[in-house]
Amino acid sequence: MTRRVAVVGGGVGGVSVIAGLRAGGFDGDVVLIDEGEFPYDRPPLSKAYLAGDADLKSIALQPPEWFDDQRVRLMSHSSVGALRPGLGVVELSDGSAIRADKVVLATGGHAIRPPIPGADSTRVHTLRSAQDADRLRAALVPGGRLLIVGAGLIGAEVASTAMHLGCHVTIVDPVAAPLAAIVGDEVASWLHGMHTAHGAMVLRGVVESFQDSPDGITAVLAGSEPRVFDAVVLAVGMAPATPLARDAGLTVDGGIVVDSMQVTSNPAILAVGDVARTCAGGLLLRRSEHWEAAQHDAQRAAATILGGPQPAAGASWFWTDRYGTHVEVVGNLTGADEFASRGCPGEQPYACFGLRDGRVTGAVAVGDSASVRAARRLIDRGITVSAAELGDRSVDLRRLIRR
Amino acid sequence: MSEGIRVAAVDDIPEGEGIVIERSITGTDDDVALLRDDDGSVWALDNTCTHADASLAEGWVEGGHVECPLHSSKFCLKTGAVDGLPATRDARPHRVEVRDGQVFLYPGERP
Repeated sequence: MTRRVAVVGGGVGGVSVIAGLRAGGFDGDVVLIDEGEFPYDRPPLSKAYLAGDADLKSIALQPPEWFDDQRVRLMSHSSVGALRPGLGVVELSDGSAIRADKVVLATGGHAIRPPIPGADSTRVHTLRSAQDADRLRAALVPGGRLLIVGAGLIGAEVASTAMHLGCHVTIVDPVAAPLAAIVGDEVASWLHGMHTAHGAMVLRGVVESFQDSPDGITAVLAGSEPRVFDAVVLAVGMAPATPLARDAGLTVDGGIVVDSMQVTSNPAILAVGDVARTCAGGLLLRRSEHWEAAQHDAQRAAATILGGPQPAAGASWFWTDRYGTHVEVVGNLTGADEFASRGCPGEQPYACFGLRDGRVTGAVAVGDSASVRAARRLIDRGITVSAAELGDRSVDLRRLIRR
Repeated sequence: MSEGIRVAAVDDIPEGEGIVIERSITGTDDDVALLRDDDGSVWALDNTCTHADASLAEGWVEGGHVECPLHSSKFCLKTGAVDGLPATRDARPHRVEVRDGQVFLYPGERP
């Protein structure tokens, strides 16, 4: 019987494990070990928090009283030095030890710093934590020259926020239309084109080196003149934080390898969120680095610890915001062999559905929340529809779901 | 106990959707979302999501809940109780009554 659960990491995954345990009736002790002041939500770090429109308290994942209400021993400003699964103990960095029957690793990851010469300059930023955002915000002064390396979700959101703050933004990516693999060429080009439309400079290429100079930092881009900036953001992806797991002898392969119930190679240790990588049917899946995916992991982990039924699997979902436009993606467009556009690309509201064998596999929506919510239900319920119906704005999607 | 304010006809609100009743009419701090569940019943909550600046009247209404159009937090139509991050605070519910196909709102009264 599980009497004490220790959760390592207070992101959305870690906090959701605890919520799931208590909601499921777990009556034992819960300890949450977190490096920060208190658990906070990360999506605003590239948006409202970075813009200075939200403070740390306002992006808390749960209000302070929640931890008392849920009987959680929150250990802030704490980190784990080692897992001792043989002893049933989690060793903190300060040398103290916590006994636990089950450990949930929700350690997330860190932003990748590619090995570009000069990238260790203090003018070069990454964005993962609130401290990163605080440091970056200090550099986002009106008129400041900002280079963003990588035009994926984080790079694009930072570009949008920095433009809003009055910076001169240059964004560089080797790909002509980043996110095309996820949302298709047409929507990806539209989204990427928003940078230029809002006054940012978009370059295609790679950075070869950085060098601090008297008036800033000089970036050398392959095949182009060196350019000087006041600050640089590297937004080229994340790497899972796996050292604890590796040192404890857990199987690690591009993430802590877990089964479909979030259990690692040690049955007493589970992993959720960005740090976890599922192996299903002998196949290692891609890590899902999204906010809601971490919650789904957490619900499975809680069910596993409780010994209850696993929650039903549903379509994945994420959102991103740029220049006041809300973009959502549900499911998977890559497996589709037929597409239906609801609206015209370039004009909101717009949605594109992907279908395979008469069923929706995924959708991307730009300023069209209702279509993506409908798509999610069409996917999860396996409802048969035609591309013609989906593409017809006069057809009420709710009606398709009810039939 | 107030008399209730006639704010809409039931047929003005498609099932599974919502409409906004402005605060100048309701006298409340926030606008009020009139939400019609897929069983036809009508409910009222403060319109602004407790997490971000989103209109719950534009949300997806189904099975006793409204799902926020921005980040998909769900709120119970009857009590306003939040069920799912990123919102952590409940929405404020208001009592409504349907008489002769008209919706009467009782701002600030619990359903």
